[in-house]
Amino acid sequence: MAIIEFSWNKPSNQGILLEIKGDKLKLSDDVLISNIRWFITFRWILIASLVFFEILMLSASDALTQVGINEQQKWPVAIIIVLIVANIAYIFALDHCKPSRYNSPSINLWIQIIVDLICLSVVVHYFGSTSTPISFFYVLHIALACIFFSTRESLYVTILVCFMDSIVIFADNFLISQAPLSTLLNTQFLSESARKDGAIIWMLFLDILFLVVWYVVSRLSLIVRAHEHHLLDAYRQINQAQVEKDQYALLITHQLKSPLDAIRSKINLIKEGYLGDTTQEVSTALAQMDYRAKNMSALILDLLRLERLKDTCLNTAVFEPVEIQAVLQKCIEKLTPVANSKKVALNLSIENFICKVIPDQLEILLENIITNAIIYSHENTSIEISSLIDRKNLHASITITDHGIGIEEKDLPNIFNEYFYSPRAALHNKATSGIGLSIVKIAAENNRLKIRIASEPGVGTTFTIIFGTIKRPIATGSAKSIPLTDANFS
Amino acid sequence: MVPRIAHVDDDSDIRESVQRILSKHGYAVDSYLSMQEFIDSLEDETKRPDLAILDVMVESMDAGLITYAKVHKQYPQIQTIFLTSLGDMIRPYFEDGSHEWVCIMEKPVEPISLMATINERLKKAGEAA
Repeated sequence: MAIIEFSWNKPSNQGILLEIKGDKLKLSDDVLISNIRWFITFRWILIASLVFFEILMLSASDALTQVGINEQQKWPVAIIIVLIVANIAYIFALDHCKPSRYNSPSINLWIQIIVDLICLSVVVHYFGSTSTPISFFYVLHIALACIFFSTRESLYVTILVCFMDSIVIFADNFLISQAPLSTLLNTQFLSESARKDGAIIWMLFLDILFLVVWYVVSRLSLIVRAHEHHLLDAYRQINQAQVEKDQYALLITHQLKSPLDAIRSKINLIKEGYLGDTTQEVSTALAQMDYRAKNMSALILDLLRLERLKDTCLNTAVFEPVEIQAVLQKCIEKLTPVANSKKVALNLSIENFICKVIPDQLEILLENIITNAIIYSHENTSIEISSLIDRKNLHASITITDHGIGIEEKDLPNIFNEYFYSPRAALHNKATSGIGLSIVKIAAENNRLKIRIASEPGVGTTFTIIFGTIKRPIATGSAKSIPLTDANFS
Repeated sequence: MVPRIAHVDDDSDIRESVQRILSKHGYAVDSYLSMQEFIDSLEDETKRPDLAILDVMVESMDAGLITYAKVHKQYPQIQTIFLTSLGDMIRPYFEDGSHEWVCIMEKPVEPISLMATINERLKKAGEAA
């Protein structure tokens, strides 16, 4: 017996990064929130490094003093405490407070930047605002503000940075005399006035640098956002085109199917005796005509179905929790007449579970697999439909087993290909449209389902549909009461 | 009184088939080629039907749906059945929540199921009244 498993990884929709608010382009809240979480994680790492630094200072203060690093500073502890409290507050605001005018991702990010700038200013002050290159860390905030805020808001951040850096330099050099943390980096002993002049030049140089960085990064950011905007427009146009294409497909399907429906309606009138009596031969011929016309109608509708399934941009594809038992029962009720005409019994023995899928598409998928099972079954056999639930991992599968012609091993890898044609299958079922399994494939892909097929020619085929995550139905939620539904629709 | 049924379809073969079936079962049938003809006929109280069978794509993509909305608003007592080539494929064009009460039949016309649906709808209307 040949077994093969199919899984189709479909790139999940990334969503739209930008949303247009007025005439300004802003990043969507989802993107801001994911980045806020990233900043929070980054800050935890920073806090951990500071704690490590502080422990190092306490444990090896003598050695550090020897290499020139002064110890016994209280500021790292204060910074650590402020950052921890602030980080907890950001998480709380994000996860436990209702979003409001005063608690938006944008405000959260603003507060983060301001608190970080204050902390950085303290660090800059103690490290040495003019004697070490620590001030360059301000650039990081400017770059981030350019990415996440509008140009105007990022300019505000840049001005704030310039202002804070200037205050620190001014305070360090003109108000208080602070020994920098690293005397190693401050080896030049300059005169008081030369030091002050140097500080002013340093301050001006840094401020100009910050403004240049803001200009360059915000320009780049604008270019990137303009491209995003074009993408957004293109996405909207594609959506619109999909809707128009669907309407066109609907129109063509209608035009193709209408004449067949008119013919079949007349056939039905004759068959039911509305147009007088007919001979047995005529009735047989009419039944044959109807059969062919019916298959052609089904093919036309299948083509429309296939087109629709491919249009994943259509708004109708929404994931909803679905009770598998109800869906299966609906399918089976619909297919029982077909099964009866082939003298095939449908044995349903499933345990209910809830899965999150696109309801219409799951129905189409099951209907197609069961229809195939019926079509390719030998007469007077049965089809078993059962489910298996992995309670531990909350996985489930539905198995549909027929006793029919089976699939040859060499054909198995190709059966889901849109234009695959198997002469053996066509010989058994002359009316095959050949697109039933393509529909199954796209439905499985859209619903993130895996399909395993085990088959042996002449013996039968087993289709297993594997559901990733499921829920237990509320009524049968407890482990004790698991009713087994056993329905025989033959 | 004989129940009156209105049928709108631009396909003459379908119109004739439905007319034949319904007449044979004793219903008074008015067939219309366009939705406008049908809407105009509603002005005349004597011609107002108990049930309307509407095609969906007549003249435009959704003429049947628009007509249904109009008729349902103005004459809620008139029962409606959609008889369309596309069957359930037109479901996405209905708003959420209307799945329960919108009756869609797929062409071709099948006498037995058509009569069963019509009788069920008329019975329901009779019970409601």
